[in-house]
Amino acid sequence: MSSFYIRDPIHGFIEFDDWEKEIIDHWVFQRLRRIRQLGWTDMVYPGGAHTRFEHSVGVMHLATLMFENIVQRRKDFLRSELNYTDVGLERERVLVRIASLLHDTGHPPFSHAGEGLMPENSDTGESYTHEDYSAAVVSLLQDVIEDHPKNKNHKISAREVTDFLNGKPSAGGSLLWRQLLVSQLDADRADYLLRDSHHIGVAYGRYDLARLLSTLTITIDPDTEAPVLAVESGGWHAAEAFILARYMMFTQVYFHKTRRAYDRHITETMRNLLEAEQTSQGVHSGCFPPPTERANLRDYLNWTDWKVLGLLQQGAGGEHGRIIRERKHYRRVYETPEVAEEPELEFAEYVCQSLGTLVGFVDNPEQSWYKFEREDIPVVRIPKVGAAASTYLSRLSTVVNGLKSVNQVRIHVSEENRKEAEEKVESLRKERKEV
Amino acid sequence: MACSTNTLNTPWHRYALVAELARRLESKSPWFGKTALQKLVYILQELFGVDCGYRFELYTHGPFTSQLLADLDLAESFGAVRVNYGEIPGGYAGYKIAAAEKNDAIRAKGAAFIEQYRDAIDDMVEEFGDLPTKDLELRATIIYADRDARRSGNSFTREEFIGLVKKIKPRFSESNISEALSELEKHDHVIQRC
Repeated sequence: MSSFYIRDPIHGFIEFDDWEKEIIDHWVFQRLRRIRQLGWTDMVYPGGAHTRFEHSVGVMHLATLMFENIVQRRKDFLRSELNYTDVGLERERVLVRIASLLHDTGHPPFSHAGEGLMPENSDTGESYTHEDYSAAVVSLLQDVIEDHPKNKNHKISAREVTDFLNGKPSAGGSLLWRQLLVSQLDADRADYLLRDSHHIGVAYGRYDLARLLSTLTITIDPDTEAPVLAVESGGWHAAEAFILARYMMFTQVYFHKTRRAYDRHITETMRNLLEAEQTSQGVHSGCFPPPTERANLRDYLNWTDWKVLGLLQQGAGGEHGRIIRERKHYRRVYETPEVAEEPELEFAEYVCQSLGTLVGFVDNPEQSWYKFEREDIPVVRIPKVGAAASTYLSRLSTVVNGLKSVNQVRIHVSEENRKEAEEKVESLRKERKEV
Repeated sequence: MACSTNTLNTPWHRYALVAELARRLESKSPWFGKTALQKLVYILQELFGVDCGYRFELYTHGPFTSQLLADLDLAESFGAVRVNYGEIPGGYAGYKIAAAEKNDAIRAKGAAFIEQYRDAIDDMVEEFGDLPTKDLELRATIIYADRDARRSGNSFTREEFIGLVKKIKPRFSESNISEALSELEKHDHVIQRC
């Protein structure tokens, strides 16, 4: 069996086989070298210029470690409670690796900043997400996935990978392992917290990965009888640090006021570029094409950071393109506390109405892909003899129990309107104090 | 639900819904906890057409959205509900949701939404409000699988469909699944499969 390695700044040497190499070498995956992980975060943290390529390889690596650690410690449980055989587990391992590798292939340029330009899915009435695009993009790799000699034993289809990524009912028992990619304890978060911290030069996203890996487990949730990802009791402080890392990275990096302003500018810039493309091609009114057919997917994948930057350099992108070129981003003139109470939200609404047309945009975590929503992690004590006992991390950790979902609201205005808006906000504050 | 980016769009209607369900279900539900809330809101949205704007995903523990968990957290910090830890009948422990001192005030902020969907909420509470969490979870998963099959154009026999649900919920027996499916079929909540 041929093995290949990528030297990764976070995990060291990451090993992959010739089947996975073909997937990595595919143009769909190579495109991720041209999608920056954190959009325009380098306007705040200049080191934040890394790409989805290294993150995707890192997620495959971490998801595999998580899977292997769980199987090593809970093999008896997986056999007796969930009827797994060794062959079945090996097949799940391979599926987890391929799905993890491909989970971000549907990202638009500048990652989440482009997500607001995805069209509505007429079947669901909701906008498509990058996950929908990633799942659809897998169809372009059908031959690479299905025809490789290594797949003779597993018979994994591109459709299965799609269903896994989409969380479709047809994924069946594999939904358990999908939690390694999409849950409060997933390899996606586990990788990006460490990777983003490393590249931008902060320590906020660090946590004890080794301890978390060595205590990750599967248990039956007593409330629902469902098999779920959990942490063994000895690892709850590592899980606590993981949650705190998410909170710190959210407040200090992902929801940074200037970073969010650039998210807005790049979204509007791309809307403008897509509208211009409509003029030349007669399609897509300011939105990306829907991921419903191959031709659309190829059009969509043609959009990368390089394409947008090239157009920006030529002077395209409208008013927001100009703002990016001249670094005259929108400025925050008002914000609530991180966890805003009812009167604070009401006052923010009043400020917003009073500023009227001066408002450039209003930001809140709900409009951001990165959120800090309070979640909980099952913690389980597994005795050598007898039944496992479950509780929640929030019961053990007063720190986690004290964290609240962040619902901070910010009001941004253009550089031109800044002085007038700041004066108005100041007078509204005084008026409020007097009341 | 599309939002303008030049207004606040505080989702008071969603906090009001959490407050309304806490008020109605704290005495009716055997255990109105975080999981029951997830499944009941999913059912309300999917079966009774209440446009809450949540995007549910399927997990081994049924349809779930972290947005609703965050809304519950915020409803608690506004004083609309309280979430306490306690012993669940059956010998284990979990979180229980109940109305709190500012329940009326938060419901009032989303009064138009609650009023618009009053009949739907009544019907949902009447039909599903007294079911234990496990039963809610099974039903919500069946509904999710049914809707997905219909959207995807996948046709299953009844036996195949039960097999599909069994793969997602391996701890439920085929007869449990069949029984729950029959109930949902009886009320036309899912299509009849032969």
